[in-house]
Formats: sequence, C-alpha cells, structure tokens
Amino acid sequence: MDDVVGSGEAVVHGGDAEEMGRCLSAVMDIGELLLMHGAEVNRVEDTIGRLCRAYGFVRTDVFTITSSIIVSAMLPDGRTMTQTRRIRERDTDLGVVEAVNALSRRICTAPVSLGALKEEVGRIQEGERDQVLLKLGMYMMISASLSIFFGGSAADGLAAALSGAVLFSVLRVSAALKLNSILQNMICSAITAFVVSALVGAGIGVHPDKIMIGNIMLVIPGIQLTNSLRDMINGDMISGLLNMSEALLKAIAVAMGFAIILLFGGGV
Amino acid sequence: MRTYVIQTLMGVIGSVGFAVLFGVFDRKLSWIAVGSGLGWAVYLLCVANGYGMFIGLFAASLFVASLSELSARILKTPVILMLVPMLIPEIPGGDLYYTMSYLVQRQYAGFGNASDQVLLEAGAIALGIILASYLAKFLRNLRIYVLRHTLWWS
Repeated sequence: MDDVVGSGEAVVHGGDAEEMGRCLSAVMDIGELLLMHGAEVNRVEDTIGRLCRAYGFVRTDVFTITSSIIVSAMLPDGRTMTQTRRIRERDTDLGVVEAVNALSRRICTAPVSLGALKEEVGRIQEGERDQVLLKLGMYMMISASLSIFFGGSAADGLAAALSGAVLFSVLRVSAALKLNSILQNMICSAITAFVVSALVGAGIGVHPDKIMIGNIMLVIPGIQLTNSLRDMINGDMISGLLNMSEALLKAIAVAMGFAIILLFGGGV
Repeated sequence: MRTYVIQTLMGVIGSVGFAVLFGVFDRKLSWIAVGSGLGWAVYLLCVANGYGMFIGLFAASLFVASLSELSARILKTPVILMLVPMLIPEIPGGDLYYTMSYLVQRQYAGFGNASDQVLLEAGAIALGIILASYLAKFLRNLRIYVLRHTLWWS
C-alpha cells in the first residue's frame, strides 16, 4: 500500500493524520444531520466542502445523493482519505438545518477544536424535541385551512380538522410500530378516507373530496415532487430521479389506500 | 372578491402551520406569513388578468422564491427554511389528489388531464424557483466581480 491513495484510518498512520480522520468524521456527522433533516443536496456538498477547508484539507471532493454521502479529502502532504455515510431515515426538521448552518458559519470564520465541535453537534441532536400536542394542533389547523383553501366550506374545514387529528394519531402509531413508509402511507390514506366518508355520512362536512385534499396535503409528496424537479433542473439528476420516484411511489400508495375504501363501498 | 380573500388567508394559515411543523419559529414566521399571502395574491392577479395557470404559478413561485432568497440573507438563515413553507399555497395538492382519484376509479381520460396538469404545475413552480436562485447567484457574482475590479483600478 502506498501513502497517496488511502481509505480511512486503516492506511493513514501517524498522529496528525489520525486526528484529521476524526475531524473528517465529525464534518461528515454535520453533513449527515443536514441531509437527514431535509436540506438540499447542494447545501450538504457546499457545507462539507467549506468545513473541510476550514479544518485544513487542501482538496475535497464531495458526492451526495439523497441516501448517501461520499467524501474524499486530501491532506496538505498529499495523502487522501475517504469516508462514506449511508442515510436511511429522513424527516423534515428545518430547525435542525438552521442550527447546523449557524454552527458551520461560526466554524468557518473561527475553527473550534474537535472536542468542542463534537459537543456542539451533540447539543443540536439533543435539541430535537418531540412536541406531540403542538404537532397535533398543527395537523388540525393545516387540514382545516387547506381544505377551505381548495374550495371547501366551513363545515368541510371542521370535518378536515377532525379527520386530521385521526390522521395524526394513525401516523404516530404506525411510526411507533416502525412500519415501512410506503405501507404507512397506504394505511393512513385508507383510514383517513374511511373517517372522512363516515363524517360526511354523519352530516359533518359536505364535499368529501375537499376534506380529503386538506388531509392529504399532509401525507402527499407535493413538496417532494416540486423539490425533485428543482434538483433535476439544477443538474442533480440522480437526487432528482430518486426523489421523484419516491414521490410517485408514495402517491401510488396513497391512491391504493383510497382504492381499498372504494372497494368496500365508501364514496370518496 | 370575498372568496379570494378567504382563500389567501387560509393559504397563509396553512403556510404558518407547515412552518411550525417543520420546526421554524420566531420572527421568521411573520416573514413566511406575509410572503405566502403575497405569493398567492400574485397568482390570483395573473389569473384574473387572463395569463392562465402556468404563467400565474410561474410568476407566483418566482416572486416567492426571490422573496425567500432576500429574506434568508436578511435573517441569515438557509433559503429552504423560508422557501418551503412560503410555497405551500402553490403546491398542486388538489390536482395530485384528483389524479389519483381518477386512476382509482378507472376514469382514464380524467386521469390523463389531471396528471398532465400536475406535471405542468410542478414544472412551473420548479422553473420559478430555479430562476430566482440563479438570479441571486448572478447578482452575488456580479457584486464580487465589480468589487474586485474597482479595487484593482484604485
């Protein structure tokens, strides 16, 4: 093995290089946090590149798609180290993206020691709170307002708020059971469609389609579809295609959820 | 007129709701509320003046994306934080629902129309976002270029 092309710590010897390997790993933690919480691919690549430069790597090549990060970084003495990360779970939390962004801005102007960096990253990870009641309130508010937005009446808004609460609890339960996300979308849309037709049957709400749209905006991948087109126009073909196929698959899962209810005679 | 005002108001509430759901708080919320309301007003104005859905959505998303580029620089925060919640009213959720609904009911003519519509809408929005982001990049590069050259002259 020569010392020009190395892969991680197996090849890199010497205290300095080992330290740099740990540095690169900490930088990748930051990139992973960004990608997992809904940052664009561009931003992840840009942030990792900047941080590596701040920590004294002379050249960095970052390749990121929605499910993995690959970084090759060159030390001043010409040795290269490569690390990869696999991203499995993604969940939009832009608050984390903002905190990480603020951290990386600060580091780029004045790099902190490795220990301090790890501490900061840990603090951001711990900061992710799970406020169930607030989220429930938001689900009800979004469902109601968007069902009126898409042309529903006030009664439709009320029905959408109620079925939005049901949707939220189904999502919580299926997430706790660690169901596959496609299956989860199918079950959620089936149960929501059932609840909506029951509500309309009971006289709350008039237009089942408008009520459903209010709810569906919360599970439907409209944002993802738009982002995927943006990625593709921007030149990130692979990320765009991955996002788009995931969005289409989710949309089909939601449609299959309706189909189940239609088959059993509910008129949504 | 009244329905338009109610619709815009509901769009704003939905945007703020999504912002909170995505973990965005404090004074960014007021920017998001104003931006999403103005964005939908741009769409309504375009459609009322007979420009059609595509141009309307394109103009609205161009407006919203430019505003979020601007506000992100003022508030020193990532653009996506402002952009995603502000764009909620433009997201083609309704047509995506009808697409799937037609598919499930095997009304293929309706399915074709609706899916065509969804792709057109998503394309218009994406085009607006891209144009705004490249406009921001262009202005930044222009500024750097001008600064460098004036320094070189002096």
